[in-house]
Amino acid sequence: MGHIPSSQTGAGVMSVLRTDRLCRSFGNLVVTRDLSLEVQRGERHIIIGPNGAGKTSLANQIGGQLRPSSGRIFLEDVDITGQSPDRINRLGIARTFQKNNLFPNLSILENLRLAVQARRGHTLNCVRPVAHYSAVLDRARELAAIVHIEGEGSRLVRHLSYGEQRQLEIGMALASEPKLLLLDEPTSGMSPLETQRMIELIRDLPSDLAILMIEHDMKVVFSLADRVTVLYYGEALASGTCAEVQASARVREVYLGMAG
Amino acid sequence: MDLFLVQLLNGLVYAMLLFLMAAGLSLIFGLMNVVSLAHGSFFMLGAYIGLSIYQITNNFWLALVLAPIPTAALGMVVEILFLRPLYRRGHLDQVLMTFGFTFVFFDLVRSIWGSNIRNMAVPEALAGAVQIGAGIYPVYRLFLIAIGLALALILWLCIERTRIGAMVRAGVDDSAMASGLGANVPLLFTGVFGVGVALAALGGVAAGPIMGLYPGMDSEVMIPAFIVIVVGGMGSLRGAFVGSVLIGMADTFGKTYVPSMALFLIYLVMAVVLLTRPQGFFGIKHMGSSGNIPPRNAVATAPTTRSRIIGAMVVAAMAIAPLFVNNHQLTLVSEIFIFAILAMSLDILLGFTGLPSMGHAAFFGLGAYAVIVLASLFNVDPWIGVAIGVLLAAAGSAFVGYFCVSATGITFLMLTLAFSQLAYSVVVKWRDVTGGSDGIGIPEKPAFFIWSLESRMVMYYMTFGFFILCYLGLRRMIASPLGHVLVGIRENEGRMLAIGHNVQGYKLLAFIISGTIAGFAGGLYALFNGFISPDAIHWSASGDILIMVMLGGGGTLIGPAIGAAIFLLMKNLVSSYSDHWMLIIGCVFIGCVLFFPEGLWGTFRRLKPVRAS
Ligand SMILES: Nc1ncnc2c1ncn2[C@@H]1O[C@H](COP(=O)(O)OP(=O)(O)OP(=O)(O)O)[C@@H](O)[C@H]1O
Ligand SMILES: [Mg+2]
Repeated sequence: MGHIPSSQTGAGVMSVLRTDRLCRSFGNLVVTRDLSLEVQRGERHIIIGPNGAGKTSLANQIGGQLRPSSGRIFLEDVDITGQSPDRINRLGIARTFQKNNLFPNLSILENLRLAVQARRGHTLNCVRPVAHYSAVLDRARELAAIVHIEGEGSRLVRHLSYGEQRQLEIGMALASEPKLLLLDEPTSGMSPLETQRMIELIRDLPSDLAILMIEHDMKVVFSLADRVTVLYYGEALASGTCAEVQASARVREVYLGMAG
Repeated sequence: MDLFLVQLLNGLVYAMLLFLMAAGLSLIFGLMNVVSLAHGSFFMLGAYIGLSIYQITNNFWLALVLAPIPTAALGMVVEILFLRPLYRRGHLDQVLMTFGFTFVFFDLVRSIWGSNIRNMAVPEALAGAVQIGAGIYPVYRLFLIAIGLALALILWLCIERTRIGAMVRAGVDDSAMASGLGANVPLLFTGVFGVGVALAALGGVAAGPIMGLYPGMDSEVMIPAFIVIVVGGMGSLRGAFVGSVLIGMADTFGKTYVPSMALFLIYLVMAVVLLTRPQGFFGIKHMGSSGNIPPRNAVATAPTTRSRIIGAMVVAAMAIAPLFVNNHQLTLVSEIFIFAILAMSLDILLGFTGLPSMGHAAFFGLGAYAVIVLASLFNVDPWIGVAIGVLLAAAGSAFVGYFCVSATGITFLMLTLAFSQLAYSVVVKWRDVTGGSDGIGIPEKPAFFIWSLESRMVMYYMTFGFFILCYLGLRRMIASPLGHVLVGIRENEGRMLAIGHNVQGYKLLAFIISGTIAGFAGGLYALFNGFISPDAIHWSASGDILIMVMLGGGGTLIGPAIGAAIFLLMKNLVSSYSDHWMLIIGCVFIGCVLFFPEGLWGTFRRLKPVRAS
């Protein structure tokens, strides 16, 4: 495949994530078809596509929740295809979920603390109370601030507003100190105000962090994307800057036309 | 007639009986995600009701046809009144509920029909034997094969060719779709439950003439039937059939050709199948997705000054208690301490990690047998025996855990159950070492440092001390990073994976910790009791521990200890003036699952006003 650059070293455009002709189907339903895409360091790569296009399925394959039928996934130069989700997380991909997937019966800080703890060790210790690991707790508080969750950290997550839970999703992923952040519709179900805050939150993330993000809201796409890939029945219809994608005839036909 | 043909037919007979059990179990599981532990009880109940009808009418056919009707009605009542309220709450509670009913039905059967073995005559029309090849074979057994095959065919046609069957299939394929079927769902569930129970009852009557009837025949068939559906694939009728034939044949041929291995052969088959094809031959759904544990007693609060003072007072009261109670009570409380340790150890798995083990007694038994076997056969000092027992329990739980921890929920429950029954079979079979079903004892209790454990007072203080030690140790573990990880796994395993925790590894660790402490409790029990028999590791003993945890409150440490106390007090007090302690404990347990899912301590703790910190 000519258009897949072999790992370029030195000059900067080393891809953080690369999928190579990824395929996945459920029975007869093909949800990922021959998908090859790349995310560069610091790039905000957004995937759009109608409902059922296979966006979440793609995220699940990258995150390890779903095994591809064929094709490969590389993180930097490491082949992570078919690895378990925890392994993939430790290798450097952290993700959020389209449907909030938190620990609703635990507190905000405990949610974040568990995520920090996975990264910063000590987890095998079975005699020293967690309260004594102040560095871990401090980092959890810091993350709550980064994702704009204010107020008492001891509140149970199930008592948070929906928007706050979406923010916490991102905090949990950031706790893993990832090389690639994988966001599945971070603004889904949010009010315009909450959406605006989420855009700012994502914009404020470190600029060298690679982000692969699934999004429905075109406003979010236009304000964040460096590169957009349009997914349609598992296939990449087009990929490029916002302008390039908007100009694509096929995209207009099948996707933007539908939305408008 | 050659032995081979006879075995083939015997294998088929057994397979058909298993199928009658397994078909219902599998359909019920497929549709409702409930593994009914009471399914064996319905088999037994059907057999006894059949016996009574047979005796009154002197007509076997009437018994065969009529007995399933009241049994199925009873099953549907259980489903409507007791399982239905729990559908929202999660399937584990329903499984526990059915376990409560095994107590109730056992007691019922024992008090109505007595505990002696009862025989059921083969009906006259089928009494003879027929010539097959060079030998003869009982007609009744051929009849069993025929009836099994016929029912399998009818069932298959119903599922494949009828509208209701289509609904059942849709429900098995996709539970969400089943709820899309709307108002019919509860009816469908109750109907399938009833049909499953009726099949089991029919199997019970049919098996009566060759098995004999006795309280306890329920688990005789239920464990193999469990293995059948695990092997065949849960939720699949075809799987139930193929699994039944495989297990029936393996068992029958095993007993003839490799008698020393016979008891283990079916477990071996199960292990091989699970290792190579975890969802079984025809598994429709991945069983792992089926058993979510409802959040119970999620947040442990740090001890306040007041709770510390109360705790210290309770400990002080227990320390001076021996001055005020008699010897008998002292012994009872010592036993409670030992079982409290055991229940706390199970709670590490069940309440904290969310893994419902139904085989915990095996590790307890390993610890106990190590002490007694080593002491009586090799004259090993019992305390060294305790140490060896703890090591064995650690090794054993590492081995069993390795196979079990990739499963969750109900599959986990069934795997642990199967493994513990394997241990049970080994103990019963290995007479030379374990004394078989008679059990084995040590002549004399050792000393604890300089004090002889023959003294009840010494025993009391020793078990008390170990209980406090275990409690404090476990409390520390729960507060540590490891403890928090375990709770995280219980709350949301998928997210734990996504944030990078090696969930499998931690589950295994929890399994080992829990099994090791159970082994220690077993060692103490050996010293305390001086005797151990296979009853201590029967799967129902594991169920008892589960009841203790749930009564007191899973996900807490004090809860299981309180649960152990209540369970043993009830067992002792009630059994001293009534034969019906099983009925009573069964009802208490059922009530507890229905109304206090957090257990007594959990409920109490929730009611207590929590001060903001
Ligand atoms: N486990 C599964 N088994 C069968 N089909 C599935 C499974 N998961 C997803 N699908 C199907 O695959 C298709 C793609 O689903 P996916 O969730 O990836 O879409 P999506 O692009 O994320 O949609 P949305 O915008 O609604 O989130 C859908 O038709 C869905 O029904
Ligand atoms: Mg999606």
